[in-house]
Amino acid sequence: MNDDMTNDSILAAPMATLRAEMEKQAAPTGVEDALMLAFAQAHPARRWYHTLGAGRWRIAGGLTAAALALLVLAIAPQPAVQMAPGQQSLAALEAGGEFIALDSLDRIEREPAPRMVETELPRTALAPLGVEITPENAGESVKAEMLVAANGDPLAVRLTSLN
Amino acid sequence: MTTMTTPTELSDTELLRQAKGGAAAAFAALYRRHQGPLYRYAMLRSGSPATAADIVQEAFMGLLTGRLQFDPLRGQLQHFLFGVARMLALRQEPHAAHRAAPVHGDASDEDLEPELASEAPEPLARLLDNEAAEEVRRALAMLAPHYRDVVILYELHDLSYLEIAGICQVDIGTVRSRLSRGRAALAKRLAQHRPATAA
Repeated sequence: MNDDMTNDSILAAPMATLRAEMEKQAAPTGVEDALMLAFAQAHPARRWYHTLGAGRWRIAGGLTAAALALLVLAIAPQPAVQMAPGQQSLAALEAGGEFIALDSLDRIEREPAPRMVETELPRTALAPLGVEITPENAGESVKAEMLVAANGDPLAVRLTSLN
Repeated sequence: MTTMTTPTELSDTELLRQAKGGAAAAFAALYRRHQGPLYRYAMLRSGSPATAADIVQEAFMGLLTGRLQFDPLRGQLQHFLFGVARMLALRQEPHAAHRAAPVHGDASDEDLEPELASEAPEPLARLLDNEAAEEVRRALAMLAPHYRDVVILYELHDLSYLEIAGICQVDIGTVRSRLSRGRAALAKRLAQHRPATAA
């Protein structure tokens, strides 16, 4: 015990001096540079998509699949509408010289002063009625008789020179 | 309200976790926090600044590459690094295989003379500017390595017997006896120099 106390008294001051001097010592900056270079090589910069977790990738994949399915449905060729036996297109009705109603029958019947006017309609405007359009005849017009109301609203039409 | 936490405020474990995730700032903070004590230990242990720098670099490189696995449940990172530095220093000494074997109970240890000629390449080469501090360092360098370890860790790093025992892989009784004998040898050498310096 006495030896230890003697050693304490001998060592206290020199150790304090050594400790103070050693506090000034640090590893050369080259060590940190080398380590940070090695770190950069071990951990290359990550792209933004590397930061997404597996859950987010699953959600993104699901949304993409759904969007693709909708796109395919939207651009897929639609099947031609099959006419039921006995059913005729509006253009076929025209061939029989019948009027094609453009408003409700009730509205046509209630019209107090209908009048008939002759006009020409662009063939392209008749496409919704089933009139055939080809590159050759797309710019042509079709003569028609149109039943109009007193206020000018079209009520019915009859094509007179489709061909 | 969110608060920003700088890397220097984070625990070693958190910094290590972030560094493993690729955060360079976390690794840099970890290095700057521990390089000083580690370098000073390695320098006194090896007697060579170049060797000490190599030891520090190799220890942190081991953490970086995952070659060294630190378990927070088994102690502090700094003590773990001291243990790594000690093993690296042992490996660089002649007859390393003989000395690296852990000694428990250490009966043979007590037979060794604490004050041995240093195995450092240039033990007497001047490393410190302060003359008095350099004299103590040289006296320390003349201690046998396993005595030098405990004296450095106890006197200059304020570690407990238990912490030193963990670092040096010996039991507490061995730490106590090595420290007592190492300090006695150091005091004897310094006492011998005292009259000469006073004259």
